[in-house]
Amino acid sequence: MPDYDAIVVGAGNAGSAAAITMAQKGLSVLLVDRSDPPGAKNLSGGVLWGNDLARILPKWQNEAPLERFIQDKKIGFLTDKSSIIIDFKTKIFEENKVGYTVLRSKFDPWLAKKAREAGATVIPGITVESLAKKDGKIIGVEESEDIVTASVVILAEGINPRLSIEAGLRGPLQDWEVSVGVKEIIKLSPQKIEDRFNLTSSSGMASEYILGNLEELNVGAFFYTNKDSISLGIVAPMEQLRENGVTHTYDIIEQFKEHPSIAPLIDGGTVAEYGAHMIPEGGLEMVPKLYGDGYMIVGDSAGFGFSNGLVLQGMNYAFLSGILAGETAVEAKGKGDFSSDSLSMYRQKLENSYVLKDLKTFKDIRKVTNNKNMYTTYPKMLESILLEMLWERGQPKKKVRDILGSCAADLKMSKLKTATDFYYIYRRM
Amino acid sequence: MKMLKIAVMIKQVPDSQDISIDPVTKTLNRSMARNVVNPPDVNATEAALELKSKYGGEITVITMGPPMADTALLELMGRGADNGVLVTDRVFAGADTWPTAFTLASVADYLGGFDVIFCGEETTDSSTGHVGPGIAEFLGYEQATYVHKIEFQDGYFIVTRDIEGAEETIKVGKPAVITITLNANEPRNPTLKRKIEAYKKGIRLITNKELQLDPACVGLKGSPTIVKDMKTVPDPVKNPSKPGIEELDKVVSVLIEKGVVK
Repeated sequence: MPDYDAIVVGAGNAGSAAAITMAQKGLSVLLVDRSDPPGAKNLSGGVLWGNDLARILPKWQNEAPLERFIQDKKIGFLTDKSSIIIDFKTKIFEENKVGYTVLRSKFDPWLAKKAREAGATVIPGITVESLAKKDGKIIGVEESEDIVTASVVILAEGINPRLSIEAGLRGPLQDWEVSVGVKEIIKLSPQKIEDRFNLTSSSGMASEYILGNLEELNVGAFFYTNKDSISLGIVAPMEQLRENGVTHTYDIIEQFKEHPSIAPLIDGGTVAEYGAHMIPEGGLEMVPKLYGDGYMIVGDSAGFGFSNGLVLQGMNYAFLSGILAGETAVEAKGKGDFSSDSLSMYRQKLENSYVLKDLKTFKDIRKVTNNKNMYTTYPKMLESILLEMLWERGQPKKKVRDILGSCAADLKMSKLKTATDFYYIYRRM
Repeated sequence: MKMLKIAVMIKQVPDSQDISIDPVTKTLNRSMARNVVNPPDVNATEAALELKSKYGGEITVITMGPPMADTALLELMGRGADNGVLVTDRVFAGADTWPTAFTLASVADYLGGFDVIFCGEETTDSSTGHVGPGIAEFLGYEQATYVHKIEFQDGYFIVTRDIEGAEETIKVGKPAVITITLNANEPRNPTLKRKIEAYKKGIRLITNKELQLDPACVGLKGSPTIVKDMKTVPDPVKNPSKPGIEELDKVVSVLIEKGVVK
């Protein structure tokens, strides 16, 4: 008899969601995390869409340590001197509060506590050394020469899945599969935040930008309001950083903070924390085999995330993949069968959910996010068009098509190239 | 030989790496700090574990603190301590070192006394070093402070302690309180198996219902210390350039001028 029905490695959103799902259905669950309190070392941008969380924790909105609900969502482009932003503020977000800013170092320990309350054994402060294998099956985890066994091991290791790689369940991480996120938390009084962003004491703003002011890199940036702090950061593709070799990520985040449209927003704030983390951006191509005899892979470890340059999501994919793996384990326990065949239900469930559907729908999105014009030429083009249209300089006015034509010429873009780019962006987004 | 009954008195403290000084209020900002076991208390636990492995015994880790301090006990049980006891009650809150030592001594007494009680030399959040000796005085135990090496022979603890510029080896009888220096030993890590056992076993809670201590002698009420003021000491002004040996004359004349040398 194994020691547990299931061992979950990693108390992030995916791991804790899996542990809660299984413990609620009476499985014996061990959840192990390297940090004490569990999950306290986790890091992400900080906007949580919690539709899936409601499946296992219906009262999460009242209980979880949340910062502000997203009432105002902005997306936009920054060039050297300008910002072009779509500001989407809607009553609909206020009536259906599902998006919240969170600080993971508070939220994740809370979620792990929920796993404990559901009946899971949650062990913090332990780094699992390796997976225990027998006859090609995963049978548990190994630490300090002890083996703790389980019918199934759910790998929720995060973006750098050391155990899965060492056990040969997936290849080593490739540069193209990840971006580097660098983040700062800047303390600012609730009063200042609410005044500057036109918010109430509970509402918040989340914005995502394409940085058109960097020549060589396709960098995105984010800016979120918490209760008494701002989370901001940049996301740069690892492959381009390596190729470029000159620009450091801290230079990029400094440039972002000094941008004329960002600097006044954080004026008077002090940096309280900073951190860096990898983000899965390889799409469907980076998804490993998701299950096998005695194991399933969830969350970032499975490459589940979505990015199109202006929208960046991962936590919702983590919750849902964790829940679906948990449900699969519950069914496997019912059948008494934890073989690869039985656990293939997990893949099935993912196929039927938005997790794999989104990755399939947007399988070519990297051609958009890797398109350098998206990050340099087009933001500049937009800026030129708006200058022509909105700036009275005592010159004859032009038609939009003529503005476009002269902009393209200035930026050395052929009309054909521009047209095909837009066609592909339109098709892939 | 009878098994040694060993206690380790520990404290959960904010991780000193995460503490900053609030530039406005000039007080310690602990809000960003993670709670950890006071570092020399980890060495004290290791000393207890080494003693147990050589001479046999049972180790109980004890702390006085809020309910969340249970994780500190579980962490040390994950390293090999047998039992955890959390002394927690609202009446114990706000204690300075006097009622802390009094309460912990009372707990040791309540648990039937110990052959040896280990403590860390000092805590990183107040650095008084009072509590260990205080416990010894309240219990009437022998004591040795700032110890980094312990042997147990013929019912005596032969301990080596740090004194300024030297070390001293002394013999103390049973029962004793021994406080252990930071880095006295290399603490073993917690293991998954032991931590699972610790979480299964859980910890024992002791409140003042059991102890029945006079509320006037514990917590804030029992604390003779009153903090009147807190000041931040400005950074010492550093001499921007170190004078070279050829300027020795000048240095000496400045020292004479300032009355440092005659």
